[in-house]
Amino acid sequence: MDELILNLKKEIIEVLNLEDVKPEDIIDDAPLFGEGLGLDSIDALELIVLMEKNYGIKLKDPAQGKEVFRSIRVMADYIQTNRTK
Amino acid sequence: MELNISKYTYINQLFASVNGKKLVVTGAPEKGKFLTALYRKLNVEYPKFFKMDTLSKLGFLASELIFENGKQRFIPREDGVIICFNRSSSLETDILFQSSLEPGNFFPSPSVFVYTLPNIVAGEIAIRNKFLGETSFYISEKFNPEQIFSAVDIAFQNNKTNFVLASWVESFELSCEVFMLLVEKKTGKDAIPFSIKCITELFNNEHLYG
Amino acid sequence: MIIRIGDNIISSLGFTTKENYQAVKSGQTGLRFYGSCLDLPEPLRASFIDKERLNDCFAAICKHPGNYTPLEQAAILSASQAAEEFGIDLSDPRVLFFFSSTKGNVYLLNEKESGFSRNHIYLWHTARVVAGYFHNPNTPVVVSNACISGAAAQIAALRELEAGRGDYAVVTGVDLLSKFVASGFQSLKALSTEVCRPFDVARSGLNLGEAAATLIYKRAPAGDKEDIVLLQGAIRNDANHISGPSKTGEGSFLALKAILENTAAAGDLAFINAHGTATSYNDRMESIAITRAGLNTAPVNSLKGYFGHTLGAAGVLESIISMQALRDGVVLPAYGFENGEQEYPLKVARTISPAEKSHFVKTLSGFGGCNAALLFKKKNGAEY
Repeated sequence: MDELILNLKKEIIEVLNLEDVKPEDIIDDAPLFGEGLGLDSIDALELIVLMEKNYGIKLKDPAQGKEVFRSIRVMADYIQTNRTK
Repeated sequence: MELNISKYTYINQLFASVNGKKLVVTGAPEKGKFLTALYRKLNVEYPKFFKMDTLSKLGFLASELIFENGKQRFIPREDGVIICFNRSSSLETDILFQSSLEPGNFFPSPSVFVYTLPNIVAGEIAIRNKFLGETSFYISEKFNPEQIFSAVDIAFQNNKTNFVLASWVESFELSCEVFMLLVEKKTGKDAIPFSIKCITELFNNEHLYG
Repeated sequence: MIIRIGDNIISSLGFTTKENYQAVKSGQTGLRFYGSCLDLPEPLRASFIDKERLNDCFAAICKHPGNYTPLEQAAILSASQAAEEFGIDLSDPRVLFFFSSTKGNVYLLNEKESGFSRNHIYLWHTARVVAGYFHNPNTPVVVSNACISGAAAQIAALRELEAGRGDYAVVTGVDLLSKFVASGFQSLKALSTEVCRPFDVARSGLNLGEAAATLIYKRAPAGDKEDIVLLQGAIRNDANHISGPSKTGEGSFLALKAILENTAAAGDLAFINAHGTATSYNDRMESIAITRAGLNTAPVNSLKGYFGHTLGAAGVLESIISMQALRDGVVLPAYGFENGEQEYPLKVARTISPAEKSHFVKTLSGFGGCNAALLFKKKNGAEY
C-alpha cells in the first residue's frame, strides 16, 4: 500500500505538472482538491485519464471522481480494489 | 490620438530583453529550459505556469516582464485590451494532442486539449492580471506590423481603452518567440511613438540580431 | 451603418439559409445518434453535413474540386451562395474577407497521405484558399477566438467597415467534426449522447455539429435601403479560468452591458439568442449574466438543439437564423427545453411565438474566458 501511495503521488505530480511539489508534500489523508495543491476541474478530469491509463479503471463521470479523489489514501484504496492492470 | 509604446519585451528560447536591454538569466544550462529559468528569475509564485503549453508560457512571461513593478494589475479592470497574433495557431499542442489519439493507445488528455486553442494565451494573461477587457487572437502568415498597428489603433477608437497589450507569439517547430508591446495614450516626450515603422524596427532589432 | 446584404448556411439541416430556417421553424433537429463514428471508442450524438451533397454542389461550381479539402469546399460554397443574393463580385478589392474556424483542417494531422500540401493545416492558408478561389486581392482576416470566433469575426468586420477600410465584408465561419475535436470534448466529459437541452434543469451536456455559414455586410449611408443592421459588438474576458465559465458571468455580463450602453434597445429586444450549449456550467453562467444585465424579461433561446455546437461557425450561423426570425417576427423555441432552473429564471422560449420588437442580441462564450455579444436591428426598427 505504501508503495502504491508513493507511486501514485509521483504519477500525479507528473501528469498534473506540479513542478514544485514533492511526494512528501502531499499528505495521505489531506483533501486533494480545494486548498493545498490548487487543483481544478481540468486536473480532476486528468486524474480520470490517469486511472484508466495506468490502472485500467474507467470512472464514468466526474461526480464519481469527486468521491474517489477525496484524498491520496482513498484513491489508493480504490485502485487496489478495482485495478485491472 | 497620439499613442506611445511605453514598454516592450522580446523572449525566445535563448534570451529575453526588456526595452531592448537583454536580461541576465542564470540557471538555464539545458536546452529548452530557458523559459523555466526566466520564470524562476522573475520570482513569481504562479504554479499554473507549469501547466501551460509553450505558447501560453511565452505570453505569460512577456506580460510579467511588461507589468513587473507596475500598478496596472491585479485589480479587476475593463480598460485594457489584449490582442495576440501568430502564424501557427496552437499547432504545436494540436500535434501533441493528436499523438494521444492513436488506436490502441487512446488516452486524450483534457489538460492538453484545452490548450489546442491559441487564444488561451490571451486568457492566461487576463486571468493573471484580472483584465476583464477584450481579448482577441488573429492568425497571419507572418509577423505583420501593419495588421498589429491597425488592430491597436481600432482598439483605441473606443474611448474607454486606456492600454493595449499587443503581441506576436509563436511556438511551432523552429520558431519560439514572443514580442509584446504595451501601448498607451501619449505619456511623455521620451516615449517611443506608436507607428508601423517603430513596430517593425523594434521587432527586427530583437528578432534578427538578438 | 453596417447592413446585411447576403447570407448562407450549409449544415445538417440544409444547404441554403431558407432550407435551414424552415427546418428550424418546423422543429427539426439535425442531431443524430452514432454508435460508432470518427473512429471514436464512445458513441456520439452530433450533426453532420451531407458530404455527398457537398461534393455534388461544389463540383457544380468548381472545375478542380480535388484541390480543396471538404472544409474549404464548404466555406467556398457558402460564401459563393451568400454572394448571389446581392449579386456581389467577390473579386472586388473593396470586398474584405473574415474567416472564423476553431480547428480548420486539423483532421489532416491524422492522415498519413492526404494528398494535400502541408500548408493546409495553417488557418491563414485555409482562409487564403477560400478568398483566393474568388480571386479576391485582400489578405483575409483570420480570427481564432475559440467558440466566440464567429461573433469576433463579425465584430472585426464591423470595425474595419466603419473605419472605411472596405465597402463589403464577407464573414465565413466553418468547422467540421474530426476525431480530434470530438475526443477532446469527450475527454472534458462535456458531451451528451441525448439531444442537448439548453437551459433545462435536466441538461446533461452539449452536442457537436458541422456547419459553414456566411454573412455579407455592406457599409451603407444612413437611410439606405436597409434590411438587418449590425449595430454593436463587444468582447470581454472573465479573467477567471481558461475552461470553466465564470461563476458570476462577469465577461458575458460586461459584454452585454457594453453593447447596450447609451441606447434604449434593451427595452426593445425581441429575444436574446444565447450561446446555450446545454452544459451545466455554461447555461448557469449565462443565466446569471443575463439577469445581472437586467435582461431577464426578454425571451431567450438557444439553437444548439437543432444544430449542435458548430464551434467556429456558431456565431455566424446562429446570427443568420436569428435574423430570419427577427424579420419573420417570431421567437424560435429552444429545442429540448422544458423546465428552467429556479435560481436564475429566464424566459426561455418553449414554443414559437410572435415577436413585435425590433432588436435582438446574440451572445457567445468560449474557452480562454472570452465572451461576445452582438446587437442587431431590423428594417424600420426604432433608432435610439
